[in-house]
Amino acid sequence: MGSEPIERRVSYVGDRLKGSRCPFCGKEYFRVRKYCGNCGRISLGKMEDIDYFYEKGVLETCTVVKEPTNRFIRLGSYIYGIVSFHNGKVRVPGRLTDIILRNDEPINLEDFEGREVVPRFRRRYSVERSDIIPTISLAFTFADEYYPHQEYEIIRPSKEYEAPGIVGYGVYVSRFRIKEGGIERSVPFIDEDAITAAVESGKLSLIHSGVDHRLVGKIYAGSESNPYAVNPIASKVAQVLKLGEEEKVEGVQGVDAVDTEFACKAATSMFKDAMALVCYPKNPMKYVMVIGADNAQAAPRGEPGGELDFFVGFGGAAFIFGKEDVIAEAEGWYSCTSDTPDFWRRDLEPYPQHGGRFTGEPAYFKHIIKAGRKLMERMNLKPSDIDYFVCHQPNPAFPARAAAILGFKPEQYAPGLYTSKFGNTYSGSSPIGLAAILDQAEPHKRIMIVSYGSGAGSDAYLFVTTSQIKDKRSRQKFTVRYQAENRFLQYVDYATYRKFKEGL
Amino acid sequence: MREKPAIIGIGRTKFGEHYELDPEDLIDEAGLMALDSAGIERKDLDACYISDYLLQVTNKIGLEEGFISQLLERNIPIERMRSFSSALLNACNAIEAGRYDVVLVGGMEKMTDRWSKIRDNLMLLEDHWAYYAGGTPETNHELLLREYMKSYGIRGESQEKLMMTLAQISVKNHHNAVKNEYAHFQREIDVKRVLAARAEEKRVLGLYDFAPISDGATALILASPKKANEYADSPVYVLATTLATDYISYASRPYRAGFIASKISMENALKIAGITLDDVKILEAYDQSTVFEMISLEDLGFIERGKSWMELHKNFEDFKGFYYLDGKEVYVNTDGGLKADGNPLGATGGAQIFEVVKQLRGEAGQRQIKPDGDLLFGCVQEIEGFGTKVYVHILGREKCGK
Repeated sequence: MGSEPIERRVSYVGDRLKGSRCPFCGKEYFRVRKYCGNCGRISLGKMEDIDYFYEKGVLETCTVVKEPTNRFIRLGSYIYGIVSFHNGKVRVPGRLTDIILRNDEPINLEDFEGREVVPRFRRRYSVERSDIIPTISLAFTFADEYYPHQEYEIIRPSKEYEAPGIVGYGVYVSRFRIKEGGIERSVPFIDEDAITAAVESGKLSLIHSGVDHRLVGKIYAGSESNPYAVNPIASKVAQVLKLGEEEKVEGVQGVDAVDTEFACKAATSMFKDAMALVCYPKNPMKYVMVIGADNAQAAPRGEPGGELDFFVGFGGAAFIFGKEDVIAEAEGWYSCTSDTPDFWRRDLEPYPQHGGRFTGEPAYFKHIIKAGRKLMERMNLKPSDIDYFVCHQPNPAFPARAAAILGFKPEQYAPGLYTSKFGNTYSGSSPIGLAAILDQAEPHKRIMIVSYGSGAGSDAYLFVTTSQIKDKRSRQKFTVRYQAENRFLQYVDYATYRKFKEGL
Repeated sequence: MREKPAIIGIGRTKFGEHYELDPEDLIDEAGLMALDSAGIERKDLDACYISDYLLQVTNKIGLEEGFISQLLERNIPIERMRSFSSALLNACNAIEAGRYDVVLVGGMEKMTDRWSKIRDNLMLLEDHWAYYAGGTPETNHELLLREYMKSYGIRGESQEKLMMTLAQISVKNHHNAVKNEYAHFQREIDVKRVLAARAEEKRVLGLYDFAPISDGATALILASPKKANEYADSPVYVLATTLATDYISYASRPYRAGFIASKISMENALKIAGITLDDVKILEAYDQSTVFEMISLEDLGFIERGKSWMELHKNFEDFKGFYYLDGKEVYVNTDGGLKADGNPLGATGGAQIFEVVKQLRGEAGQRQIKPDGDLLFGCVQEIEGFGTKVYVHILGREKCGK
C-alpha cells in the first residue's frame, strides 16, 4: 500500500467489517453509509451502525486461487469466494484461511460452498518490512471446524464485589501444531502474528465476560514479539474491538491503550495495575483488559539462540478485570525483580539470545520460588491451602520442578500445564495456564499463578473463584482444552513451521 | 433525429509484446494508419479523444494529451479516457453536438512493461476490496462461471459439456486469429491443449481460457456526416454508442450470473440505432475469458438466459465459422477476439471496431464473412473492469436502421 491514510481507512472498515443498516427498510451495506439507496433522504443520518465481526456468514461461491497476486504469493494456494451475511443481505469477497491446500489432492468446490464461515482478523497480505502491516477480517474459517462461531452478547452485571478480580477471559491458540520430541507446539498460520492473536484473544474475552466493550477503560497488550519496534498492538486491539466509548466523528475510541514489555511477564505484571484502576478512588474504570500474546521467535537451529527453536509456541490470553460479576477475586500479590539478563533481543535483531546457564537456577527458579514463597508467607498460606498452582512454562520440566520445590503436588499444578500442547507462548504462557484452570475450577477455589519474565522478575497472584465462574462457563466454547485436544488440529513439518512463523 | 457520426478511417498496430516501443510510438503508428486510410492530414483534425487504462501505472506517465499534441504538432483539444469505447462515445457526443467535425479517436496500452506486477494493479483497479481479500483477475471469471452454473443448475454431464464448450470458444477464436495479421497469437490450438492447461494448473479455467496481456494501439477517424461524405466513399456510421454501469464490487451486485450492464447497454443501443437483434450479423464480444463470450451472448440477448452453453455446444458439434442462433447466423469475434487478437486494454475496443468496420466495408480479406443477405450492421461490446462499465456500439453501412 505504502500510503498510511489508505491503510488506516481500509483497516478501519475491514478489520471489523463495519457496515450500515437502514432502520426503515432493513437494507444492509458493507462499509459505512450515510443513507439508504432505497429510502433516500428520510434515511440520511439515521442509518444504524452494524458490523459483521461477531457474525457468521455463508461461503456461497468459491474457487481456488493457484496463482495469487504478488502480495498473496506467500499464502500459496487458497480458496477465495463470496461470503454472504444475514441471509444474503450483504455479500463480501473473502478468502478461507487456516487451510493448507495440498497440490496432489483434487479439490471439489462443492465441499466448501454453502458452509457457514466465521470472519477472522488476520494479516491482509505481504508488504515490505518497512511498511505498515495491513490487516483485514475478510479471512474466514469454517464455523464447524476448529474455531466455532460464538455470539457476543452484552450482559448487564448483577453483582458488585468488594475485591477486584477477573470478570472474563479468552485464550486464542492457532489451529496448527508441530510435534517434536514428545511435545506439541502451536504454530501460527502464515497470516497470523502477535497482533492477530491479541485481537482474537481479546474478542474471546469479551464474548466470555459479556462485558460491554464500551466500558473498558484501558487495554494493556504485553508481548515480546510485536512485529513493530514502534507502534502499539494495544491501539489495534482497542480499535478493532471498539474498546471504550466510540467518538464516531473522529473515529477514535475513548480508551487508554498501551503495550508493555518484560519478556514473558509483560502481561501478568499489569494484572495488578488493571485491578488498581478499577478501584481507583476517583473515576474508577469499569473494566480493564490485559492481553499477553506472542508469536515467540527463535533463531534457526544450529545458530546462536537456536536452542529456543525447540520450545517456542504461538498464542494469546486476554483477561478482563473489574469489580462486577467477578469470577475470581484477587486475594493478594507479590512481585520481585533483579537485573538478570538471561534472555534478550537487541533492537533490529530478529531473534533473541539466550544466556545458557542463567536460565535455570539463577533466573527462572530463583524468581518463581521467591515470588511464590513470599506471597504464601504474606497471606499466611501453605501449599495445601491452595487448590491450583500455575507458573511460567518454558518447557515441560521447569514448571513441574518449580511446583515441586514450592511444595505443590501434580494434582494442583497439572491442570494448568499446557506447554507440551502449545509450547512456550511467552507472555501468554502462565496466563493460558491460569485460563485452563479457570475453565474447570469450581467456585471458592484458590489459585496461585506465578509468572516469570527474563531480565528478570516474577509476579505472583492469588485468586479465589466465585460462584459466578460456573454461570459464565457456557459462554465460552473455545476453551483451552478444546484448543489443545481438537480433532481439527493440523500438524506441520519443520519447514512449514519456520515459514509460517516468519509470516506474510 | 440527429445525423450519426461516421468512421472514415481506421488503423491499428499488431498486438503483442512491443519491447522496443514506447506507448506514443504505438499510437503514432495506429494514428498515421487511420489518417492515411481516411485520406486526411493532421491539420484536418479538430480534436482527439484517446484512451489508456493504466499507463500511469505501467509506464509512470500521465498527461497523455501532451504526448499526442507533440506527435501531431497541434494545439487542438485532446482528452484522455480510460477505454477506447469511452473515447469513441465522447467523440460521438461532441460531433453530434456540432462541436467538431473531424476527430481522432485512439487507444494505447503498454502492459508488458509491467509484466511482473500488472496483475496486482489490474485487480486493485477492478475491485479493491476483492483484491484485499485475495482475489485475482482470474478468480472473478471463475466465480462468475460458478454463479452461472449454480443459477441454472448446470452440473454433472451438463457441466462437462459447458466446460468443453468454453474450450471450443478458445479454439475458435485462435482459429479466427490465424487470418489476422495483427493478432497477438496467430496460431491454432486444439481442445486438448485448453483442457490440458486447466488440468495442469488444477484450475477451473486455464491459460487458454483467458485473454493475454498485450501492448498495442488502435485509432480511427470520426467525422460529422457532412465531412464524412466529403472524405469517404464508404463511411461506417456509428448508429448507437451506449454505456451502462454497475457496482465496483462484483460480490455486492444483485445479479451475478452475468452482467446487467451488458443487457441495459445493448437494449438501449438497439433502440437508438433503430434496428433489431436480427439485423446484427457480426458481433465483437469482449471475451476477456471464454466465460465472457458465452455469457455475453445471453447478456446481449442473442440467447435466452441459462441456455448459452447448450446452444453453443450444439453449434460446435459442426462449427461453420458462425453461431447459428435462433434461426440466424451470428459471426462472433472473427478477428480472434481478445483471446487471440490480444487485449491491450485501452486499445482493445479499437481493434474490435477495426474488425467490424473492415467486415462491413468488405475489406477483411481472408477473414471476410459472407452471411446470408446484406451485411449492414455490426455490434461491438466492450467492458471496463469486471462488468463495471459496458459499452455497446452499433455500426452500420447505412445512416440509420430500418
